[in-house]
Amino acid sequence: MFTLSRSLNRLADEDLMELVREGESSAFEIIFDRHGDTAYSLAYRMCGSRVRAEDVVQDAFLSLWRSGARYDRTRGSVRSWILSVVHNRAIDTFRREATRGSLQVGDEGLAERLSSGELIDAEVERRDDAGRVRGALRDLPVDQREVIELSYFGGFTHVEIAEMLSLPPGTVKGRMRLGLSKLRIALGTEGSLP
Amino acid sequence: MTERDQMPGSHDCGGDAAAYVLGALEGQELEAFRTHLERCAVCRDEVDAFGGVVNVLPIAAPQQRASRGLRRRVMREVRKEPRRAARPGRAGWSLSALGGRAWAAGGAALSVVAAAVVVGLTLGGGGGATVFPARVEGIAGTAQLRLTNGHAELVVHHLTPPGRRRVYEVWLQRGSAAPVPASVLFGVNATGDADVGLPTNLHGVSAVLITSEPLGGTKVPTHKPVIVARLD
Repeated sequence: MFTLSRSLNRLADEDLMELVREGESSAFEIIFDRHGDTAYSLAYRMCGSRVRAEDVVQDAFLSLWRSGARYDRTRGSVRSWILSVVHNRAIDTFRREATRGSLQVGDEGLAERLSSGELIDAEVERRDDAGRVRGALRDLPVDQREVIELSYFGGFTHVEIAEMLSLPPGTVKGRMRLGLSKLRIALGTEGSLP
Repeated sequence: MTERDQMPGSHDCGGDAAAYVLGALEGQELEAFRTHLERCAVCRDEVDAFGGVVNVLPIAAPQQRASRGLRRRVMREVRKEPRRAARPGRAGWSLSALGGRAWAAGGAALSVVAAAVVVGLTLGGGGGATVFPARVEGIAGTAQLRLTNGHAELVVHHLTPPGRRRVYEVWLQRGSAAPVPASVLFGVNATGDADVGLPTNLHGVSAVLITSEPLGGTKVPTHKPVIVARLD
């Protein structure tokens, strides 16, 4: 097993996904080891609670395993693919919760969700990229950053954000568009995660 | 949403693309934008461009380490549930619709067909297979549910793809109880085909339902089934 794990460790994510498709749990374990931290970080940022973040990540990874997903490398990196599943799981969780409608911008829960503080940054090689994205977000005008963070990390719809901020829904959409346009220019992104 | 926004053909091109890729549209507005995307190259380009930005947003989250307990729980479940490997040489079932950049696939517009297609029934087919009828509703394609030597599989052909950032999810219904997730998600290949393994224990299951759901699936159906295979 040790030898198998060592040799699997040398494989690229895309090749590991071929083995995952064949039901190889050791390959799935390596995928989890490579992306579990980032997945958890995203989930924690969105949920603001360790328990809920862990539930989301567990749910997302198990759905990937159970579905026998065949990764399509033409559609982007394995990391992007996993994170999109985690993101959608978190949003599903938010939208199922009956208490969801009672959240307001100033609520402690939301504040915690949007400003989780632990900065471990275990994956040193990704710090530059993460810093660049954070910097680009930080450089946005506050009103544009706010709607992007509330929707992407907070999981709120533009209608909910409009209610929270007492703005017309069209204004919220406009700020999202302006903000993403500026981010696109700042990051020069083609949409691939490192 | 304003009245004007809801009117076909009066869509503000590009105006909803950012909200769409951020996941901030829902309900009728989301459906309307998806329909609009099918015929609007401007919005498709905008969605592709913004999708690239949204792809990198996750790394802006402060990095934290997942607990060893989480890793242990995930891997314990994984080892408890050995998965039937995809069989080579078949039409191939794929979760390509789960791709993280599904919105960046460009030009993969849905072709929604209003007519229902009823699939032919062949009970007690060759090789010991029992084939159950599957009704396809609201989209194009055909489907069959086959039981062979204790293995259940759903075979679909020429099925309309589930759409951007969406996936088909399988549900099991027992009598009049609410459908429960079968923990099976699937997409279709370029020709709309898929061969999907189902849980082998269909005891008491009266119908297998398929709905289109957001990537990652959901725990309760959020849309009307597009495929219904009755076993009773």
